Amino acid sequence: MDALLAAFATVFDPYVLLIICLSSAYGLFVGAMPGLTATMATALLVPITFFMPPVPALAAIVTATAMAIFAGDIPGCLLRIPGTPASAAYVDEAYALTRKGKAEQALGAGVVFSAIGGIFGTIVLVTAAPALAEIALQFSSFEYFWLVCLGLTCAVFITTESPLKGIITLFIGLFVATIGLDNPAGQPRFTFGSADLLSGVDVIPAMIGLFAIAEVLRVVAAAEVRLPSAAEVKGSIFRGQWELAKKYRVQVLRGSASGTLIGALPGAGADIAAWIAYAMSKRFSKEPQKFGTGHIEGIVESGAANNAAVSGAWIPALVFGIPGDSITAIVIGVLYLKGLNPGPTIFINNPESIYAVFILFFLSNIIMLPFGWLAIKSAKQILRVPRNILMPLILMFCIVGAFAMNNSLYGVTVMLVFGLLGFFLEENGFPIAPVILGMILGPMLEQNFITSLIKSDGDMLAFFERPIAAGLGIVTLLVWATPIVLALLRRRRRMSPA
Amino acid sequence: MKVSDLVTGLVLLAAAIAIFAYAQTFPAIPGQPYGAGAFPTVVAVGLGAFSILLAWRGYEARRRDGGQQKLIALADWTRTPGTGANFLLSLVLVLVYVLLSDRIGFIPLSIGILLVLFWRTGVRPVTGVAVAVIMTLVMQVAFADLLRVPLPRGILDRVLW
Repeated sequence: MDALLAAFATVFDPYVLLIICLSSAYGLFVGAMPGLTATMATALLVPITFFMPPVPALAAIVTATAMAIFAGDIPGCLLRIPGTPASAAYVDEAYALTRKGKAEQALGAGVVFSAIGGIFGTIVLVTAAPALAEIALQFSSFEYFWLVCLGLTCAVFITTESPLKGIITLFIGLFVATIGLDNPAGQPRFTFGSADLLSGVDVIPAMIGLFAIAEVLRVVAAAEVRLPSAAEVKGSIFRGQWELAKKYRVQVLRGSASGTLIGALPGAGADIAAWIAYAMSKRFSKEPQKFGTGHIEGIVESGAANNAAVSGAWIPALVFGIPGDSITAIVIGVLYLKGLNPGPTIFINNPESIYAVFILFFLSNIIMLPFGWLAIKSAKQILRVPRNILMPLILMFCIVGAFAMNNSLYGVTVMLVFGLLGFFLEENGFPIAPVILGMILGPMLEQNFITSLIKSDGDMLAFFERPIAAGLGIVTLLVWATPIVLALLRRRRRMSPA
Repeated sequence: MKVSDLVTGLVLLAAAIAIFAYAQTFPAIPGQPYGAGAFPTVVAVGLGAFSILLAWRGYEARRRDGGQQKLIALADWTRTPGTGANFLLSLVLVLVYVLLSDRIGFIPLSIGILLVLFWRTGVRPVTGVAVAVIMTLVMQVAFADLLRVPLPRGILDRVLW
């Protein structure tokens, strides 16, 4: 109880509240700007949060991401260009509503059901995370080894169209994680005599490169700097939302629940959640023929799902240190920087910080309603900000941000290399998120792998001796075996005469 | 740049072999059979195996369309005048910053980089100069003064506050 009160006191401090307001505005702007994603918003925030105490730093990230995921709906609805990938699933639907003159209804549903989905996800986070942490306290290196394997597998199979390409970028990330001195043997690896590489490849400059520089390059390369102009949103955005909530309560609940679950699965974030929720909404709808013609039902369900995913992604991040999406991959980096090492013990050692995160999530989803209203009303002006001015400024800001992490140009070099890598991968259809997951989870995987091997004296059977480890291990192996079995079956069917 | 999966796979396979070979030179933890080399070896084997699969798929895809797809093809935007150059220019400008910022300093380089990019993307000169100067000063104050990041002072060392 004391911890809860302390958490309230830290969150409702004027300085933290100011940070929340500023990062709300920032998140809304970045989310509403096509080409700038919520992950990018977080990556660019890190250099600034670096200089803040833990709670304001987390406040900035939590509010900015929640706002950005909602704000992605704005240009999607008005211009048919999703502001973030999380809004891509229902962009046609929302635009069709705008063409029917119902933009205010679509955007109102966006903000209201985003907030509801976000709050639902937070409630699950608040209840599930401490319970999972209780169980996770019993985990040894065997369980953690399988958990990381399962998480990485999940990330590759669920999130990518081509699992093979996902596996490849995952291995690239795992390799990058082995660079440097930081390994169980304390042996410099792949440093080629460079003093900078001894400390390894910093995750934050790499993420700025992968998610921000690559994007700047893409906009510059595509030469699409001008956006079409948007119409002003007139009328009340909140009118009729209560009726929608009553009419579509099952959809809201289903969207929130599936969103939270998908968010909690490693690697899959708000964008996947929205796609799945939209498809599910259509599948179970009583009037599926209306989908795509400006029907609000799918927007209600997937709008709730993508914001629920934002909260859900924090569950594995806080309890196991395994990121639920690419945003929480950055969050884990920030938590380590602030001395709040994620894992089950964080609930024992720093309960007030954890409670503060919970309160922040509730708070940011509630203030989404007034802030979202403001953003929708000023959408026309926001979308007029010329991107040919914005992109060079972001490039410069990335340079300064990557430098500020260690006050060294090495960060800027890392950023540049990963910016190019990210651009190249994306151009050729390789997913980027597994690179980051590999980099974040690589050290954890190696630590638990080597420790387990040493404990068991090299006996792989020991990896299955403890009950939970055995369960996790078998599930992992089954998931690995599935594509092989499927491929063999397909071959066999082709061989046998039809 | 669009690169065939065949090429990407082969390049990654070469990298995996190099990582594997290098990893064998790492010493084990004293008294233990496993050490610094174990994990990179596993990573190299995994990367290598899946690279072969990727290269194979790229090869199959090429065989199916009769080798029509080039092994390495430039994307459409490189052929539009200006955009390909802008892409390279952005990379070069970051590189210039890495190489010269200690000597020249953050403020002149930042203004310079912004002006070049604004000019190339068609920002009006007056707007461009104003935004470049003001935003550079904002970043200098925010990072160097408020957050105490030692941004390189360079040639302005004596003039700066």
